[in-house]
Amino acid sequence: MSLYKSYGGNKRHEIIYKGISIAFLLLFAVATLFPIYFMIISSFGDPIEAGAVNYSLIPTKFTLDSFKFFFNYSEYSVRWLLNSLLIASVATVSNVVFAGMAGYAFSKIKFPGRKWLFFLLLIAMMIPYQVVQVPLYILIVNIFNLSNTYASLMLPTLCGVYNIFLAKQFMSTLPTEVIECAKIEGCNQFQIFTKIIVPLSKTVLAVMAIMTFMENWNTFFWPFLVTKTMDMQTIQVGLKNFRFANTTYFSPMMAGATISAIPMFILFFSLQKYFLQGVTVGAVKG
Amino acid sequence: MKKFSRITSLMLALVMIVGLAAACGNSNNAANSSSAASTNSASGNTSAETDTVTALLPPVSATYQDNFNKFSKDFNTKYPNLTLKIEPASWEDMTQKLDVQVNAGSPPDIAFIGADGISKYVDTGLLMNIKDIATADMISDFDEGPLNYMKNGDGLYGFPAYMEIHAIGGNKQYLEQAGIDYKSIQQNGWTFDQFRDAIKKGVVKEGNATKRYGFVFACAGVAAKDYLSIMVKSAGMPSSFTNDLKYAYTSKNYLELLKELRTLIDDGSMPKELSSVDAGKRWNMFLTGQTMITGKGLATFENSANKNNAKIDAKDGSAVKDSIKVDYIVLPIPSFAGAQAVSTPAVDGYVTFRGKNEPTKAHVDNVVKAAYYMASGEVAAMTNNDLFVAHITKSANEAAKSMKIDRNPDNETAVQNMLKIAAPARPDIPTDLGAKAIKIEDEVIIPKFQALLANEITPEDMYKAVKEAAVAAFGEDGIVKD
Amino acid sequence: MNNCKNEVKKRKFKFNEDYFWGYVFIAVALAVFAMFTLYPVISAFIISFQEFKPLGSQWIGLENYAGLLKDKLFGKSIVNTVTYTVFSVPVSLFISFIIAVMIYPLKKSLQTFFKAIYYLPVVASGVALSVVWLWIFDPMPQGILNTIIGWFGISNQNWLGSSNTAMLSLLLMSWLSSHGTSIIIYLAALLGIPDSFFESADLDGATFIKKLRYIIIPLLKPTTLFLLVTGIIGSFQVFMNAYMMTGGGPNNATTMVGLLIFNNAFKYSKFGIAAAQSLVLAAIIAVISIFQFKVLGDDVEY
Repeated sequence: MSLYKSYGGNKRHEIIYKGISIAFLLLFAVATLFPIYFMIISSFGDPIEAGAVNYSLIPTKFTLDSFKFFFNYSEYSVRWLLNSLLIASVATVSNVVFAGMAGYAFSKIKFPGRKWLFFLLLIAMMIPYQVVQVPLYILIVNIFNLSNTYASLMLPTLCGVYNIFLAKQFMSTLPTEVIECAKIEGCNQFQIFTKIIVPLSKTVLAVMAIMTFMENWNTFFWPFLVTKTMDMQTIQVGLKNFRFANTTYFSPMMAGATISAIPMFILFFSLQKYFLQGVTVGAVKG
Repeated sequence: MKKFSRITSLMLALVMIVGLAAACGNSNNAANSSSAASTNSASGNTSAETDTVTALLPPVSATYQDNFNKFSKDFNTKYPNLTLKIEPASWEDMTQKLDVQVNAGSPPDIAFIGADGISKYVDTGLLMNIKDIATADMISDFDEGPLNYMKNGDGLYGFPAYMEIHAIGGNKQYLEQAGIDYKSIQQNGWTFDQFRDAIKKGVVKEGNATKRYGFVFACAGVAAKDYLSIMVKSAGMPSSFTNDLKYAYTSKNYLELLKELRTLIDDGSMPKELSSVDAGKRWNMFLTGQTMITGKGLATFENSANKNNAKIDAKDGSAVKDSIKVDYIVLPIPSFAGAQAVSTPAVDGYVTFRGKNEPTKAHVDNVVKAAYYMASGEVAAMTNNDLFVAHITKSANEAAKSMKIDRNPDNETAVQNMLKIAAPARPDIPTDLGAKAIKIEDEVIIPKFQALLANEITPEDMYKAVKEAAVAAFGEDGIVKD
Repeated sequence: MNNCKNEVKKRKFKFNEDYFWGYVFIAVALAVFAMFTLYPVISAFIISFQEFKPLGSQWIGLENYAGLLKDKLFGKSIVNTVTYTVFSVPVSLFISFIIAVMIYPLKKSLQTFFKAIYYLPVVASGVALSVVWLWIFDPMPQGILNTIIGWFGISNQNWLGSSNTAMLSLLLMSWLSSHGTSIIIYLAALLGIPDSFFESADLDGATFIKKLRYIIIPLLKPTTLFLLVTGIIGSFQVFMNAYMMTGGGPNNATTMVGLLIFNNAFKYSKFGIAAAQSLVLAAIIAVISIFQFKVLGDDVEY
């Protein structure tokens, strides 16, 4: 990276600068990671209902019983994980493809009504979800009669406005000349999108994939509304079943949360590379 | 590029595998729903009686949701023509789900809710009055007190599952150290002055810092509502409306109560940070010996304390950090402002809904059968034993005879005593008055009470604000003046 | 298509083809949007003029809106929400930007490490987060934050329980958490800047500050605009923190519009009022967003 090249002349400055920034980053990281740390150490506690949380920095007991309890609690524990995996994966693929395409169209293709349509998208995003849920529920459950199906869980998540907006903002910074050149060389827009825009937008598409997966993995309210049987619930809905009136199975819930975080880690690290590749426009042009 | 597409194809493959697994489940499901549909449509011709009843139920107790299959099966054995389809919901979010379903005009036939929610759903027009549908046998099975909580106006809207008393709980050893005769209090109750003295004695100081408080109640956020609403009943105001339907919280007793509650903090018997002590925190304080008495206290807390004691004995590090062994003693709420003590019951139960379309008579009958099945007999006996709460039907009492639970007999008597003085249900309060009272409570009383606990306003300030809001809502004639 | 042909005479074919592709590219997105977002929004708009009842709503015209004007609590909640947004969004964004710029020049392995660390909290369960934050704000002297300020000789504070500190506590929470998303988006944008830009700046002998000012900040403008707009939308709708941590108290010091809407929709069954409040809120957000688009400029093309 050549952002700090000017330090190249003075090695000592560079080392000092990097040292300070790493120290700062680490310090801030400790604060940020604390809840995760707490979640993990709590999951190793006993699977007994707790009226009080064990406020302790150091784990006082190490047992995997809570994990066992989580899987034994309901015959559907694994099914919940699979349901979540399915819904989040479909949403991720669909969002990356369709929001990516829409983002490109809104940023680089000139067609009548694009500003107006885009503004409409944004406005809709500004309405709080609480009031949108009821009409949406009426549509999906009463009109389409899709209650308790995978379709009802997936349909509303297929292409988020947030992602379209993100893709549009990112793609608007791509140099227009590249696209013009490709046009002159006879590419149609679809070819431009797959051959030029997608490779150039890898970083943001990867971010979008992670975030969409994350969001759909963690989403609670909608799956909670439209599922009617335990076998259709997602992991987030299932986890809430550990909370009873006035008492909670705290450790198994944390064990479940820890388990449900694992796919995120895997996805994050497997997509990691694509965040990190700097983009070299020249190379693509050739 | 290559690697990117590899990952993409990997993900696609993953999606397909899971999709396949899901499709199996889905077809299964479709089969279910189609069979349900066929039973519904069949009700017209072949056998007029087959029907499906749906129920939306939270995890009432730890084993409750596990037993759904058993409940459904047993119900089906009892009524071979009927199917009970149970839809599980998490406890905290249950109301949201129910509200969405009600607003969409397609609620479940049966839902498990707190009795205080009934008036809200009566207002939507979708709650079903089963007064004339429930048989005399069903009605007479229930204790009258809890059953009345399921009424609103003239209507009966469901069956109660249990009646729990909101009390406070003490640490036996500390109570004895402070020279408090808890057994007599369990029998006879106590006045504010006795209570004030008692919790003063419970305070242990080390220099300036308080090591142990006399009394801690969960008051953080909306829990402040619990504290006030439990105490206010024993200050001569068992309900927010008097018997002639005047708003009660403008009475002088109310101001007196606020002053007395403030005194407990000023005495140093309760922490000055009370306004942000939440339910988890105060239970932690109780188990770690930082308070002698805690509230609100529920019957199951005895169970939780016992379990923690066992973990301390086991010495395997699984007990709550720094906790001590505690014998949980159920204590009644003191009486304030010279009034009679009245205990706070919390009744939860099974309410019955109708959909947008008028249901058939046969379906209504079946819904009532299902609700009664859940609220009585073996199902109720199992659930209530799990929760350490008393049985409120004769049939559950009968069924529970063979089940054993381990409780401190003193506590059981104390709860029985409190049940005798439980605040009666008030089905006579019209829904619009009830709704206004709830709005005042949420928008004026709780916020001001939080400020009072944080010592930001005086009891007089709060009383004035409540009075103003009450006059605005009910008019000068709609409130108590004394 | 045919209409377009008549309208645009010059470079006819080229333009039409672009129109066509434009609509093709947004077709699926638009269909999903129209059905699952726009339709419910329009329904909510209609409901805002009704007294909503599942068995038949009544038209009451502007009554729901008129009621809001008189509602003092609604006014207070707007002030609270604006205060919260003004202090939380820009500060969080600034912190994310600084962190992203600090991570950017590091070695790849370190970049990965820090990005993972900062993004991880997003995957933590909400319950774990709220338990930890309640512990941090524990009002007793042994609470985490009280222990820390105790080292500096400050007496312990009733963080969430006092009107003076409740809002500050929620702000502190927003400053110390929820950066994960903005950091990785900023980093993605930073990595999208072609190296050649910095190389040519080096040839001109630009300092770090100059590169920051003339390359990074202008090129990250669309990203900043995105994060700002979505951040403000999120912040205006926020209610979970108040709901979990303070319940809107004490004395309504932390009551947000989102919380009121939630209560009206799910606690009082006043769906019409909730819809009206939502639309007023959306209008406020829209005005602020338009302002941001105007100031920060939208279509950056170069």
